[in-house]
Amino acid sequence: MQATAANHAWRKIKSALVSALAFVSAILVIAPLGLVFFYLVKSGASSVNWDFFTQLPKPVGVVGGGMANAIAGSFELLGLAAMIGVPIGVLGGVYLAEYGSTRTNSLLRFIADVLNGVPSITWGVVVYGLVVLRFKGFSAYAGGLALGFMMVPLIMRTTEEVLLLVPNGYREAALALGVSRWKTIVHIVMKTASKGIVTGILLALARVAGETAPLLFTAFGNRFWNHSLSEPIAALPLQIFSYAISPYEDWHRQAWAGALVLVIMIFFINVLVRFLTRDRMANPT
Amino acid sequence: MIETPAALRPSVAHERAKSIMPSSESNTTPLPTFEVSNLSIWYGEKPAIQDVTINIPSKTITAIIGPSGCGKSTFLRCLNRMHELIPRTRIEGKVLFQGQDLYSPGSDPTVVRRRIGMVFQKSNPFPTMSIAENVVIGLKLNGVRNRTLLDERLENSLRMAALWDEVKDDLRKPGMSLSGGQQQRLCIARAIAVEPEVLLMDEPASALDPIATMKVEELIHELSAKYTIVIVTHNMQQASRVSDRTAFFYVGKLIEFGETTEIFAAPKEKKTEDYITGRFG
Amino acid sequence: MPADKHILSRFDEALEALRGDVLMMASLTEKNLRNAMRCLVDRGSNLCSATIADEGEIDELEKSIDADGVELLRGFQPVASDLRQIVSIIKICSNLERIADQAVNIAKRCRKLNRDPNPSDTEQINAMFAQAIGMVQDSMSAYRMSDVNLARSVLERDKMLDQMNHDLATTLTTTMGLVPERITDYLNLLFIARHLERVGDHAENIAEDAIYAASAEDVRHNKVQA
Repeated sequence: MQATAANHAWRKIKSALVSALAFVSAILVIAPLGLVFFYLVKSGASSVNWDFFTQLPKPVGVVGGGMANAIAGSFELLGLAAMIGVPIGVLGGVYLAEYGSTRTNSLLRFIADVLNGVPSITWGVVVYGLVVLRFKGFSAYAGGLALGFMMVPLIMRTTEEVLLLVPNGYREAALALGVSRWKTIVHIVMKTASKGIVTGILLALARVAGETAPLLFTAFGNRFWNHSLSEPIAALPLQIFSYAISPYEDWHRQAWAGALVLVIMIFFINVLVRFLTRDRMANPT
Repeated sequence: MIETPAALRPSVAHERAKSIMPSSESNTTPLPTFEVSNLSIWYGEKPAIQDVTINIPSKTITAIIGPSGCGKSTFLRCLNRMHELIPRTRIEGKVLFQGQDLYSPGSDPTVVRRRIGMVFQKSNPFPTMSIAENVVIGLKLNGVRNRTLLDERLENSLRMAALWDEVKDDLRKPGMSLSGGQQQRLCIARAIAVEPEVLLMDEPASALDPIATMKVEELIHELSAKYTIVIVTHNMQQASRVSDRTAFFYVGKLIEFGETTEIFAAPKEKKTEDYITGRFG
Repeated sequence: MPADKHILSRFDEALEALRGDVLMMASLTEKNLRNAMRCLVDRGSNLCSATIADEGEIDELEKSIDADGVELLRGFQPVASDLRQIVSIIKICSNLERIADQAVNIAKRCRKLNRDPNPSDTEQINAMFAQAIGMVQDSMSAYRMSDVNLARSVLERDKMLDQMNHDLATTLTTTMGLVPERITDYLNLLFIARHLERVGDHAENIAEDAIYAASAEDVRHNKVQA
């Protein structure tokens, strides 16, 4: 009895210790986000103004100007990337989830997982070799392609996962109505999983929106408005990078502002994702 | 089993349409809906059905009973080729549907399934669709665009499924908003909207409460005037309540098939007797 | 009845108890019928009173078997041989009760006959008595042992009993005309014969239920028997 009581006390102490440790770890997870946000706001908020969104960068030495071209460029690049990454990724995910034998599927999954782990600069180098060198010039196309390549395995795996979450009963019900396989997949399975698929696409976009490395040798950056997608184009991460490593105080401030805008953009994409997935949280299908 | 020449089929269909006979007096029906002979099915190397021969008469309710894993669901699914969805299945023997071989090389599973509908154990209305969309989706995806026809089928199917009065004001509400029993009747409405000739039911009431179960049973009884119904059930009382004939399956074999009255009052086989009176194990 | 046990042992127990009750009721009924006969043969009027008194016990048994049978039907919703078993038990017990009623009627008639120190021609009814009791006994044995052949023999013997009743009635009415001062005795004998004929009918019913329980065959009102 005595021993049990002592045991009991010791158990309580252990329990308290572990709880405390877990709590500290949780703080350590949240703290960097808070710090990053706090620092970005402190250093960048003052430079986020109307000009920042509407003006081109001013020449060296001239105070003011903005990143309008980079913001627009980022959206253009993301659009191009989506045009490549979304169809290939989604169809690949459909193949994995609905067709394909166990062997090809495990091979495909393995490849997709390896591709997800490839450092982003590798994509830049590959597209540099495949496109930039061949067509003798940096271009928006090359940048979009590099980001698109990155999106493919991301979208493929998330699409596969959400399609596999669709209960088999729906496929059977549709097939039992005499509906063909592909119509069942498009109209029943993908429709049921549509929110999940869109979520996967948004998360992939958010992931590549902040990428700098693949754009260095592809989109290259541009201090002016881009007039053709076959020309170099500016992007927020690129602009932040080049401003941040410059020696000018004003550019540093603009780089902070750009980083803040980028983080807020990604933050909003994530909020949108949460909004889209709220039903699934409440009612697991 | 002599394969009926295709030329004979319209007259047979005509005769079938005329006969509104009570389902229990099916002996006189000219052509059984299903003539299954020496059917065996394997999943990989594992035999699921062995050498089953059975004739399922038209416009009757046939119940299939047997312990779990006896092959009754597999048998049901092979009647509209749904078992093919499981990879590595192999089939031997013949299944004739109104005289035509379901498994002949020219037979298309999607056409087969349009004519032989199915209702599942778990009610599964499509979650993204309204009540109305759920009912007509089969028609829409099979290319029916005519609004009037769709509306007509919507109402008819819901009426036949005894659901119209309960949902007629909520047709735009999601199918998932209905109660469990209503969802199952919605699934039955969805199945009959494509106007099949047969309804296969895989434990259609096993997830429902007793009142909802009775409503579904009543519906099955009503539907038997128009459809040939084959129902798999774990519930022997249900089989004896709703069916005209009962087939007892045990470890992949058809042990006994006969009038439900006979099977439940005086089965001929000892295995059947032991199973239905609860003497197994 | 299949030898194997049910998965639900409670059902086995309840069914066994019900069978035990109906067999006990049968033996009580038989005893009553025998006592009624001995009233006449041994001329013991206290046996008559005992027969009449015992009927209460049989009525009680009928009620409890009925209630237990219905309870089994409700609680277990039996099918196949179990269902036939319980349905036959309920029907057999109502036939037994009527046999017991007839025994009482016979005992009452005997008591009347026994008031006369020397009633006439009572021995003429002994053969019918033996026949009727034998039928009751055999129909219950057929039920107990699921012996369809024995049950069928009971059906045959009922025709014989009817014939015996008919013959006896003819003889007694003829004699009645010759000895009008003894007419009450003969009337009582006629009534006893009539009661015994009824007992035979109930035994026949029991035999039919025994066949149904054993083989699910409905042999009632089936004139064309092979």
